[in-house]
Amino acid sequence: MAPQKDQKPPTDDKFGDISARLQDLDSRLAAEKKQTAKAENAPKQYQGVTDYSKGARLASEFVGGVLVGALVGYGLDYLFHTLPLFLIIFLLAGFGAGIVNMSRAGNRAVPTAEELAKMPKPHDDEDEDK
Amino acid sequence: MVNDPIHQFRIFNLAGPWHIFGQDIAFTNSNLFMGIIVFVIVGFLLLASAKKAIVPGRLQSVGEMWYGLIHNMVENVLGEEGAPFFPLVFTLFSFVFVANMLGMVPYFFTVTSHAIVTITMALFVVGLVVVVGLWKHGLGWFKLFVPSGVPLLILPFISLIEIISFLSRPVSLGLRLFGNMLAGHIVLKVFAGFVVSLTAIGIGGWFGALAPMFMAVALTALEFLVAALQAFVFAILTCVYLNDALHTHH
Repeated sequence: MAPQKDQKPPTDDKFGDISARLQDLDSRLAAEKKQTAKAENAPKQYQGVTDYSKGARLASEFVGGVLVGALVGYGLDYLFHTLPLFLIIFLLAGFGAGIVNMSRAGNRAVPTAEELAKMPKPHDDEDEDK
Repeated sequence: MVNDPIHQFRIFNLAGPWHIFGQDIAFTNSNLFMGIIVFVIVGFLLLASAKKAIVPGRLQSVGEMWYGLIHNMVENVLGEEGAPFFPLVFTLFSFVFVANMLGMVPYFFTVTSHAIVTITMALFVVGLVVVVGLWKHGLGWFKLFVPSGVPLLILPFISLIEIISFLSRPVSLGLRLFGNMLAGHIVLKVFAGFVVSLTAIGIGGWFGALAPMFMAVALTALEFLVAALQAFVFAILTCVYLNDALHTHH
């Protein structure tokens, strides 16, 4: 895809510096190609992602939070021999984390073209806490 | 045994087990299919890129689309800095995609229908996110767990939730792929089993078997969609998580 460079610039008194004109054409072509690619490619890219996958993602986010909370709590209990204490605390926190996960996944599930446009600011969903 | 929907996920030793450092290590059917997957990917891409024609043929077109799909995604989500991660994302996508697709072939084993495989891959991805985050932002990366603008009173609780939320990423990432493949294959097998059971009861059962037969055909199509989609979702979430590590700012 890189614009090819001529080794010896063939100059012609009739048409001027051909290599310069070729390079000019190359750069203009590249610029146009970039624009059309941005206009056409980006929206098409993620249209295949269906609601089904979004739903599956939300479910797994929630289950993941609860599961990890329970596992961490049980692990701490196993270490300190305080069985129900940390399990209860971390299970509840896991539910919270599951909800947080889900709301985040809902906000930026699988990025659509519009979401990709404002992608460089990933953690803006935390500003809601203010 | 014919209609047992779980039977297809059984792992058995093809060779071994050998005892290495006190561990039982065996060559299982899962290992065999992982080898086949890598063979298929490498073989296909080598074949597709063998000619290197300027105007691509059919095979080369497929190879270029495969490459271009992931390349565009990495570029869109991660930007310029994402270039070093393209080989990883491409490898993950290819492995999961071919594993899911090979799993659709009758009598083939689905590698991604075991949680240990998918969660291992997810753990690797999230481990990489931690390493990249620490490497890019230093210890300041841990501010990820301390959101700004939260009252001091509830901050410990919020931090706890944030930490669990982060830890749940590999689980949910791996669980999603595993769950989709497991559930899909079981449902497919159950409906196909109905056909066998109903045809066994005589001529009336033959007509009754038409309904689950139709379901099995429709579900096969759906499963192909899910197989491709979940591979893509795994790849795109890898990119989204890496993006969090690369561009954390508070």
